[in-house]
Amino acid sequence: MSFFLLRRTGGLVLTLLAISIVVFAVMNVLPGDPALTILGIDATDDARAALRVQLGLDDPAPVRYVQWIAGIARGDFGTSYSFGVPVAGLIAERLPLTLSLALSGTLLTLVIALAAGLYSASRHGRTGDWAVMILSQLGIAIPAFWLAILLVLLFAVNLRWFPPGGFPGWSDPLGSLRSLVLPTIALAAVQGAVLARVTRSSALEVMRLDFVRTARATGLSPARVLWRHVLPNALVPVITIVGMQFAGVVTGTIVIENVFYLPGLGRLIFQSIANRDIITVQALVLMVAAVVVLANFAVDVAYALIDPRLKARLA
Amino acid sequence: MLDVSNLSVRFGDAYALRDASLTVHPGDRIGVVGESGSGKSMLAQALMGMVPESASMSGILKIDGTEMTRATEAQWRALRARRVAMIFQEPLAALNPLRRVGTTVMEPLRTHLGLSRTQARARTLDLFEEVGLPDPEQRLAAYPHELSGGQRQRVLIALALACDPKLLIADEPTTALDAEVAQRITDLLVRLSRDRAMALMIISHDLQVVARATRQLLVMYGGDIVERGETRKILSAPFHPYTRGLLAARPRPQLARPVPGTKRPRLPTIPGHIPALVDLPAGCRFSGRCPAELSRCRTTRSTEFRTGTGLAACHLLNPAERSKS
Repeated sequence: MSFFLLRRTGGLVLTLLAISIVVFAVMNVLPGDPALTILGIDATDDARAALRVQLGLDDPAPVRYVQWIAGIARGDFGTSYSFGVPVAGLIAERLPLTLSLALSGTLLTLVIALAAGLYSASRHGRTGDWAVMILSQLGIAIPAFWLAILLVLLFAVNLRWFPPGGFPGWSDPLGSLRSLVLPTIALAAVQGAVLARVTRSSALEVMRLDFVRTARATGLSPARVLWRHVLPNALVPVITIVGMQFAGVVTGTIVIENVFYLPGLGRLIFQSIANRDIITVQALVLMVAAVVVLANFAVDVAYALIDPRLKARLA
Repeated sequence: MLDVSNLSVRFGDAYALRDASLTVHPGDRIGVVGESGSGKSMLAQALMGMVPESASMSGILKIDGTEMTRATEAQWRALRARRVAMIFQEPLAALNPLRRVGTTVMEPLRTHLGLSRTQARARTLDLFEEVGLPDPEQRLAAYPHELSGGQRQRVLIALALACDPKLLIADEPTTALDAEVAQRITDLLVRLSRDRAMALMIISHDLQVVARATRQLLVMYGGDIVERGETRKILSAPFHPYTRGLLAARPRPQLARPVPGTKRPRLPTIPGHIPALVDLPAGCRFSGRCPAELSRCRTTRSTEFRTGTGLAACHLLNPAERSKS
């Protein structure tokens, strides 16, 4: 197991390095002059040239890349061109919100998927199964941002249960939670619909296996057979998809944060791109990639925790 | 304890089991033989109330005096494991791969008998001991993939015995095991049946297993019980043409090692194949493949007649038929 972790961690670092190279290369072929962004169009050519030297932009690309990576290793992501403050600070301010949203979204996705998927599988071919399948088809078809707008109209504008957008700050915990409810639902509905189908088909496959027959022959109740015997064995494909969906949820927050005016990484990415704030965009893209890679790492560890056969092979 | 008469399992018009009748007393050891599709597994599933949802059951099936043909799933659940228990063919596939085998065996003890964790653990250790698992303490924490084939089957037997059933049905219990282990498992089943005065039904296509373990025998073909009686007698003097064919097709050592210089004798086979359920002849299911077929066999089904060794459902035994020829 420890060897497995070591090898996977090594892979993790290499993957992130590769991603950083791609991100850096892409960002540097994009048009746009940071000096122009910072000084504005009224600045003289001399002033812009001087600033470029000061920012180190006249160095060759490989040198700048190494400086950037070396800075990140020290926790220094550079200084934002448009905000004029350290990028690390910008990220640290906004990361908790995006992470909370991504985690609550994934959690709700799992709850929806396991409940709906298992229910559907246990009612295979009957009305309940059909109802869940139609609902999930609907869930897959609806774009998240549109669902978000509908949720705002119903629950914020008409019923006034939840705020339509904005974020009061973590100093108001109850208010913060309330403002995360609708974004979480908007994020999880689509992903939950997809995952419910995966759960259903995985559970149906497991239900055909011999040990489920053994459990039934032992006189165990259908609920017990479903939750204790079918579910754990159906989880492996579900977790695989959750890991892949986590990437979708994280990128989904970009859209959702903009719909709900939430000051998270998503909005920051949006603003930085609009401002040609290349150094901030670079850091954010690397950040999101790191989150996704880490999620997949967590999935691999989860496999080993679920399945003792896998653990034995990895030891 | 088990009283079955005219029990049928149908898928639409196709009979997977047709008018089966049998009685099982405590301590009986019954073998059921026949090829795949003969209905022997369907009989076992019917006795557990586990026929597929698309099938319909009719006839009478009494377990401890209670009529179960039209019982609900909840009523069946109350009998499974406690009255009738079953073990299956592939011990590896039949065990939940993600669970320690100790947890698996403790589960019915805790849910059905309401034992505490410690009581269930102690009981599981006793059961492991009874079925001859070495180092029971250590086996509790083992996962199925860590055990040998024979050990897995012993775990499944322990699981089946957990709630002290009156009838244990073993569906091809030794098919996935090598010959020596198969023999030991067979002997274990016989010993358990004797020690616990528990009825044992072994479903197998392996005549050796049945000969070794059972006293009574049911021979099945195409969903019908075609011959029944004492195992030993039927195996030495079969009557029904199907039973004869089945016995003749049994591999024997003298066939494998021919006398030097002679041509190796071919293993006799029954001509043709067992038809699909929907294509079975309406009368005797064996008609069309039977070497001694009479004109009426295809359309009319024979009742059971006495043979020298038991009963067989065959027109050849009908006195009226005999006087004609």
